[in-house]
Amino acid sequence: MTNDPICNRLRELTWRRKLTGAEEAELRSWLETHPEARAEWEAETGLAAVLEGLPDAPVPSNFTARVLKAVERDAAAAPRRPVWQFRLRWLPKAAFVLTVLAAGLVSFYLLQSAERRKLAQSVAAVADIPSLPSPDILQDFDAIRASSPAATPDEQLLALLK
Amino acid sequence: MSAERDPDAALMLRVRQGDTRAFAELVDKYKQPVMNLACRMLRDATEAEDLSQMVFVQVFKSAHRYKVSSRFSTWLFTIARNLCLNEIRRRARHPADSIESRHPEQDDQAAPQFEDKTTASPPDRLLHGELEEKIQQALAGLPENQRLAILLCRQEDLSYEDIARVLGSSVSATKSLIHRGRETLKQKLKPYLQTGAWEEPK
Repeated sequence: MTNDPICNRLRELTWRRKLTGAEEAELRSWLETHPEARAEWEAETGLAAVLEGLPDAPVPSNFTARVLKAVERDAAAAPRRPVWQFRLRWLPKAAFVLTVLAAGLVSFYLLQSAERRKLAQSVAAVADIPSLPSPDILQDFDAIRASSPAATPDEQLLALLK
Repeated sequence: MSAERDPDAALMLRVRQGDTRAFAELVDKYKQPVMNLACRMLRDATEAEDLSQMVFVQVFKSAHRYKVSSRFSTWLFTIARNLCLNEIRRRARHPADSIESRHPEQDDQAAPQFEDKTTASPPDRLLHGELEEKIQQALAGLPENQRLAILLCRQEDLSYEDIARVLGSSVSATKSLIHRGRETLKQKLKPYLQTGAWEEPK
């Protein structure tokens, strides 16, 4: 069927209910300009009538009473929760929060331990360097330093630079 | 939608507080459309009746979950749709098992009594019965979602937006489901649509 907006609007209305007099007149005038769509429209309105004509399913006269009885029976059959269960309704949520917190703490602790282990390994690596020479070899350092003549300025070079 | 605008929502607020009279009013108002839907989805009047009863019991039990912001009829038909689809799937798994057999406590109740609403003469009734059977068969042959969309579409107080909400799809997808379903029905019922044999017996 065509995608004309008028046709689409009327068709969607036909799917739901009988067209009003004004809508039927609109459809007739639309069909006059689109005679090729007439057969399709006949099938469309025919199907609408078929579905409309389907009889209602039989509902027993005591249906509502039976529903109410079923509701009562259901309520009576449902196990009554003791008051302490209502008071402890927060328990599962609290348990969840505690679990998440515990998981967070454990992860933090594991992370810290891993960092400490790394640090200890680094210190151990530094500690493994061969030991420095003994300070005893420096015992004559001052005497040697005092005995060597102090460096004198190079007078000639200074003169040249001037 | 507020309770002032939707009288059913106002009734549901009372049902939430355990008001069974408000609940009975809702059942009275919606028992026919729910039965029609269940009957055409399941094609068995007895099972449709049991399922409709389950729908309303579910409404009562879930009253605390009903949000006044949504239309009551949309919520009700969503429950009906879910139960119908569950039943169809259950049937596919256990073909010999009926809904009633799962509720042995109801066995002592009297068998449902259906009133005969037909006023046509016997030959007309026969012709119409045959046509009706063809239509029911054609409907039953449609995929579940197309069938539901077409049946809900006849529910005048449901807009296309409401139907889309019940089906859990977009409005355009819903219209497409209805269109495809109707095209299939037109093909299957072509001989009857051409003769006009569906018209009400005089």
